[in-house]
Amino acid sequence: MSLSMSRDNIVIRSLEQIGNCGLFLLRLLSAVPQSLRHYRETVRQLWFVGAMSLIIIMVCGLFVGMVLGLQLYDVLSIFGGTSATGTVVAIAIYRELGPVVTALLFAGRAGTSVTAEIGLMRATDQIAAMEMMAVDPIAYVAVPRFLAGMIAMPLLTCVFCAMGIFGGHLVGVTWLGIDNGTFWSNMTATVEVGKDVINGVLWKSLVFGTVVSLIAVFQGYTTPPTSEGVAYATTRTVVASSIAILALDFVLTAFLM
Amino acid sequence: MSQRPSYAVGTGLFIVLGFATLGYLATQTTSVVNTSRGPTYTVEAHFANIGQLKARAPVKVAGVRVGQVQSITLDAGKETADVKLAIDQRYDKIPEDTVATIFTSGLLGDQYIGLQYGSSKKTLAEGGTLSLTRPAQQLEEMLGKFFGAGGAADNLSGSYTVKARFTNIGALSVGAPVKMAGVAIGSVQSVQADPVKLDAEVSLSIDKKYSQIPDDSAAAVFTSGLIGTQYVAIQPGGSPDMLKDGDELVLTQSALQIEDLIGKFLVSGSPSDKKPADGDNKH
Repeated sequence: MSLSMSRDNIVIRSLEQIGNCGLFLLRLLSAVPQSLRHYRETVRQLWFVGAMSLIIIMVCGLFVGMVLGLQLYDVLSIFGGTSATGTVVAIAIYRELGPVVTALLFAGRAGTSVTAEIGLMRATDQIAAMEMMAVDPIAYVAVPRFLAGMIAMPLLTCVFCAMGIFGGHLVGVTWLGIDNGTFWSNMTATVEVGKDVINGVLWKSLVFGTVVSLIAVFQGYTTPPTSEGVAYATTRTVVASSIAILALDFVLTAFLM
Repeated sequence: MSQRPSYAVGTGLFIVLGFATLGYLATQTTSVVNTSRGPTYTVEAHFANIGQLKARAPVKVAGVRVGQVQSITLDAGKETADVKLAIDQRYDKIPEDTVATIFTSGLLGDQYIGLQYGSSKKTLAEGGTLSLTRPAQQLEEMLGKFFGAGGAADNLSGSYTVKARFTNIGALSVGAPVKMAGVAIGSVQSVQADPVKLDAEVSLSIDKKYSQIPDDSAAAVFTSGLIGTQYVAIQPGGSPDMLKDGDELVLTQSALQIEDLIGKFLVSGSPSDKKPADGDNKH
């Protein structure tokens, strides 16, 4: 009895969370015009979640590209097809690794800090104070962080992809000795703008950025106002974002193919 | 407020960097690089078979890209493909009698059109047609020429069946070609072991076009090349009577086993010399 009750509770609670998250998205969107008046706050958040994430994104992109180049060279040399290394590195990064790994890193680097910041504002009654002063906390606190995440994700993904290609080139051409011209010409012959760059990089990263930002802001905004609550909210941001990213990646791939 | 410029400038730099990399990815690492810009002129070529040629495949002269395939359509009412080539304006000195061939880059690569210049003084104008073309080589055909005994004859006009008995057919299988003077005239219809005579009875299905084969012709099982497939060769005789449906070829020559051949070649004696030796070992 108690077991089935708790299971019901988990199902109902997660449904409730999803429903609240959707309603929160509507509140966010309706507050966007009002929030654009303090666009400086959005710029400042863009600096925190975007520009400050550049280093980790670039380093990770470089290493992902390098390991791809190394593994593909190893496997493709079985078939005598090492000249396809550049093509496969580019396609793998554009279509899957770029958007997904960037989104996962973004959730860990920026999503958690947004959740913790808003959660702490909630716990220290700053949000209540804003409401007292007739400042809409959604428009002033939540929306700028949400918009900044949405804008930053595609840009970060582009940087990640460029660094990945550079890493693949570094290992494949500089280290393992694939011909430079072959590397680029095979890549440019196969990779397409519409299918790989627009559908793969841009659409996916825009959706991931929206989802990660929404989850981060929502978890922070609805956290119980205790230190334990903030800790749980931060964890939930990472867990929920990761699941949402990987599940949406499959759905998006199926739709965009 | 004194802090504002630092992050505003940094954010601006971040956005510019993001869009710059997007521009780089979209234009430098994709097929956008290969689309030729600038003025082009169009010429046509008609191919019997374009293989795997696709639109936007490169057109090359001496390996240098001079344009790309614009469109591929089937010629109205004919079994040929009409391929329109967009050639860059600066390469406008293509002779009229240029040969257009569909090549494959590498064994598994994409196909492209190679142009080999002719010797004509006249050059091809906008909308002109390359009349000399060579179709795509299909891998199956090439492999067939290389390994196989050639394709079996297409028996569109019906066929008749004759029988032949061999003491050994080697690796002859159903569907193998029947050849006369190297030309496929039919195929092997069935291969059966005769339970009484203890030899192989082979039915040959021969095209009705070749009904003038003397009835004392000989049939032999040959191998095309060292590792090729086996086929039945008909060596015509001199009889005035011709083979009819259901006849049997009496003179036959069985397949040579490569083991026998090598044995004969390496060991000067006959294979039977070895048998006592084997027997000795067993004792």
